[in-house]
Amino acid sequence: MPRQPGLRYLLAAACAVIGLATVAAHPASAADKKLTVAYIAPSLDISYWQWVAYGAKTQAAKLGMNYVEFTSENSPGTQMNNVRTALTRGVDAIVMGPVSSSSTPPILRLLKSKNVPIAFTGIGPQPGSTDYTSAVTANNYETGKAEGSFVCKAAKALGGNKIGMLSLPQDRENAQKYLRGAKEAFAADGCDLVQVLQTHGLTVREAVDQANDLLTAHPDIKGIYGMYDEAATGAAKALQTRGLVGKITVATADGSPTTIKLLRDGVIQGLFLQEAGGQGIDATTQVFNALTGKPTTKDIPLAEPLVTKDTIDSPEAQATIKRVYPPSAGAF
Amino acid sequence: MMRIFSSYRTEIAIAVAIVVLELALGILVPNALTFGNISDIAQASAPLIIMAVGVLLVVITGGIDLSVGSIFSLTGMVTGLAMNSGYNSVLSTILGLLVGVVFGGINGFLVTFVGLAPFVVTLITYAVAASLAFIVTNGHSLPINDQNYYLLNGGTLIPGVPNFVLFCVVLVIVTEFVLRRVVAGRWVYAIGSSTNAARLLGIPVHRIRFSVYVVSGLCASFASVLSVSYISNAEGTAGEAMMLQAIAAVVIGGASLFGGTGSAFGALLGALMITVIQNGVNLIGINSFWQGSVTGLVILVAVLIDRVSKARR
Amino acid sequence: MADKGFLLDARGITKSYGPTHVLRGMDFAVAPGEVHAFLGGNGAGKSTLLKIVADVVNRDGGTLNFDGHSVDEPQGAAARARGLAIVHQELAVLPHLTVAENIELPHYHRGLALFDRRAADRTALSALALIDRDFAEHAAHRLVGDLSLHEQQMVEIARALKSGARLLLLDEPTTNLTAGEAQRLFAVLRRLVSETEIGVVFVSHRMREIRQVADVCTIIRDGVAAVHRKPVTELTDADIVELMGQASALTETPVGGELPAAVSAAHVDAPRLKIEGLGFPVEVGGGAILGLAGAPAGPQALIDLLIGAAPLPGVVIRIGDHPQGYRSPREAVRDKVGFVSGDRANRGMLSALPIIDNMLASRRIVERRVLVSGKEAAQARSLLSALSIKASSYWALPSSLSGGTQQKLIIARWLQLQPRMLVLEEPTRGVDIGTKRDIYALIRVMAQAGTTIVWWSTEQTELVELCDTVLGFGPDGRATQLLHGAEITEERLAEATGMAA
Ligand SMILES: Nc1ncnc2c1ncn2[C@@H]1O[C@H](COP(=O)(O)OP(=O)(O)OP(=O)(O)O)[C@@H](O)[C@H]1O
Ligand SMILES: [Mg+2]
Repeated sequence: MPRQPGLRYLLAAACAVIGLATVAAHPASAADKKLTVAYIAPSLDISYWQWVAYGAKTQAAKLGMNYVEFTSENSPGTQMNNVRTALTRGVDAIVMGPVSSSSTPPILRLLKSKNVPIAFTGIGPQPGSTDYTSAVTANNYETGKAEGSFVCKAAKALGGNKIGMLSLPQDRENAQKYLRGAKEAFAADGCDLVQVLQTHGLTVREAVDQANDLLTAHPDIKGIYGMYDEAATGAAKALQTRGLVGKITVATADGSPTTIKLLRDGVIQGLFLQEAGGQGIDATTQVFNALTGKPTTKDIPLAEPLVTKDTIDSPEAQATIKRVYPPSAGAF
Repeated sequence: MMRIFSSYRTEIAIAVAIVVLELALGILVPNALTFGNISDIAQASAPLIIMAVGVLLVVITGGIDLSVGSIFSLTGMVTGLAMNSGYNSVLSTILGLLVGVVFGGINGFLVTFVGLAPFVVTLITYAVAASLAFIVTNGHSLPINDQNYYLLNGGTLIPGVPNFVLFCVVLVIVTEFVLRRVVAGRWVYAIGSSTNAARLLGIPVHRIRFSVYVVSGLCASFASVLSVSYISNAEGTAGEAMMLQAIAAVVIGGASLFGGTGSAFGALLGALMITVIQNGVNLIGINSFWQGSVTGLVILVAVLIDRVSKARR
Repeated sequence: MADKGFLLDARGITKSYGPTHVLRGMDFAVAPGEVHAFLGGNGAGKSTLLKIVADVVNRDGGTLNFDGHSVDEPQGAAARARGLAIVHQELAVLPHLTVAENIELPHYHRGLALFDRRAADRTALSALALIDRDFAEHAAHRLVGDLSLHEQQMVEIARALKSGARLLLLDEPTTNLTAGEAQRLFAVLRRLVSETEIGVVFVSHRMREIRQVADVCTIIRDGVAAVHRKPVTELTDADIVELMGQASALTETPVGGELPAAVSAAHVDAPRLKIEGLGFPVEVGGGAILGLAGAPAGPQALIDLLIGAAPLPGVVIRIGDHPQGYRSPREAVRDKVGFVSGDRANRGMLSALPIIDNMLASRRIVERRVLVSGKEAAQARSLLSALSIKASSYWALPSSLSGGTQQKLIIARWLQLQPRMLVLEEPTRGVDIGTKRDIYALIRVMAQAGTTIVWWSTEQTELVELCDTVLGFGPDGRATQLLHGAEITEERLAEATGMAA
């Protein structure tokens, strides 16, 4: 037998940690009669959903509600388990970014039977569903169209009409809507979508590699259409190393401190702000209204307004950005 | 000469496969063989190469390191956070590298002195480091504002050779030298070959096994700071996809997951292979839903070529 | 002091594994310039004592002096670290490294040193050349994993011989060697001992080897020294066997009381075995014992063919109604063709499974069992007692058994199955004298019941004693001669295998 002197110390340490954790996990009793809202995110490792969470959390605090959150790790099964756990914990309302629209019907049935209001953020319920309080979504199709025509016009101003796209995975509904909108805009404005590269990990590093590959395969493109924030950051990086800043236009949906800085620096030209935090705020307000008997609005499609270097400091733009990400994420 | 050829049979097979792939790609896509694209491939593969070299050492001892991807992510976040909190870039980088040393040390300790299975141990540290990577900044990604930090990756310590190339080449050559010629390197193989025999022969099994995990963690961290320096950005999911890629690179490069075999050149070529496929798939414009299948098939072919060349002895 | 002059002086060593008291105050001393035979039955504790001496296993009690200094003090510990080399009973080789590295690597103590390949090659060559010049010349760069068992054994021995150690502990070094190789090893040992005054401890179960090479002996029984440092010449073979506690072994027809019951004598429908393509036809019928003699290459290739493990180009076999032989070992086993491997560690034991699964491995396949049955416990128990296997429980892992006991376990697999043919590779490898007798008896009983036996052995006395027919193989692996009945003598065998001394 190999000797393992570490074992004993380790066991002792593990016991201590577990002991402490158990103590720490039982804060003051939960006897207060506050309403509780649960936010169930599709996956909390994506900053977009964290920002939604931030909006929901701050709004809950403002309305005097308790707030708990869950992550479904992109799995409908986990999502269902989360809903059940939330009900077991006695939450009064649910705000949810569903894993997909099609994963929602069983949840709606369950919640209806328990009489718990639910509001969706980002992704709506299965078309045709009625048993929900509210769906606060971005209008991806319209944004896709607007961004398409923005990029196309800018590309033409730079002397070309070829566009490359850094896309979200096309198995996502929002990605399909963005793409449909963009294609329509390109067709209408006379631009040519030469390549669509889909991300797997939504990381900047991947986007850099993809942007580089895009530029190698199609050196004549004049515009890069990004669907997610990291896409623009990655494309910007690729353009900077190639000395192509300003010679190729970059725009994206979403918006973050990083891309806003790139916008100010003139490396990217257009941002279509998606109000992540705002979705959380509005959805929480809607379920609170439902619980307190105030009127609710079933569908709230939020526009994704364009900001550019020139408009970024306007009061309206600043107000929108504040509904995108929390101050802790970075400067506005 | 013949000796070199026969002991690097696998490596040569992969190198040939890479060249063939690149030539084929050159026919399909005009720009594939430009200097620009080749240096893109080099840049894109650099962090993976460095990470794979670390994983290789662990794999040769018959272990596995699943934590490298999250160590990569956490290192980036720690480095980025340190910089954003006003530490200078050298100190921040050192802090980042410490992440790898600490997590590697934990892996090594649990595997070596507590006797837990490497798979379990590194699965634990994988999970912990991944969650810490979000905890440190609450999940926000961090821009790197130091205008000169890119020099770590893109500067030229030797004129004409970007640092990332230099680092990869030096790391691979030094590792290969240590593995082949230095006693400690031979001990690494000895442990993977038969831990029990190695122990009976008086080889310091514990010390060596502990060390390979530390080195693996350090390599993952080093890969991460290079990557942060390159993209001027730190994000919590940065390393998620890399763990499997690194293990794949090592295996494509001829290492056996049962231990006892593998080379640093192999790991380098394996990492290059993966990157080249990725690049090729993008350049050709294959729909991303197909990319996994294409990658899998190409790897299968590469490994089969190796098999066939070995069978013909 | 009495211990002056001893290289190694162990007094009152105790060691227990759980409830098993292996050593109960064992004394053992080795002087420089002697070859010291260390004898005892299977499971007596020989390997355990040697491992304690070599610091691989911790002792529970007793004193241990090396070169006059206690090994618990730095001086003694250092002297031991420098001056001791051991060849373990179970090989400790590194399969993915080359022969040269296997021999040289253990002599490096600093990890940051450069490994000097040329020097290693030279040492390896000269070390191996001591035992086998031919092998030495082409071996240095080969991977040890590609070598045969007996070549690996030579690598191990060469490593110890070249270590410069003053005390060599050789735990059954000859079990994996051919007679010729063993002879060369003895010559080297004698020369080293007389020239350099080193001490050699030699464990073996072969009386003849002991007589040939050893000066003094210590016999261990029941955890203590039954005989302490007695010149071998003062003891007769009968004395030694008696002192080991195996008196019955030499006296009579050695069938222990329970054995025939274990081997059901029901008549077996054995196939005729025909082998063509060896240069002359070989054919034996049911109940025959066909011996295979010679260096491993030839017999092993034939055995692999017989059990369906690997084809052998140019050789065709016909086993009963299987005119082409078997395509896989599974097919062979299902046809009740048994195999007992000589390479216990790699091809015999299922080391991660407990004793019971090891014993019943073949039965489960022969009987096409789907479920692990409740009867198995009873079957396992009867097998253990039939072979008087010392084990704490049949749920213990095989690694807790002594080497010879593991060998019994592998043979036990086929005992009650009435195999149609049984292929044995060195089945008495490492088993003690008493058990060897038992195994011979078992084989005879099985043959009488109709099982065709194919037996490879490098111990020629064994073949002479048991076989009806012997097929000899030369050192190059070619079949040379077929000997029948009275033709089978040690001289003819030596001639047939090219090992005439
Ligand atoms: N690791 C272990 N755990 C439990 N029991 C053990 C262990 N190692 C050895 N034993 C027991 O100690 C006893 C002595 O074993 P040892 O290997 O020393 O015998 P041996 O004299 O070398 O026998 P052989 O001639 O068969 O090699 C046996 O009964 C064996 O079962
Ligand atoms: Mg033994």
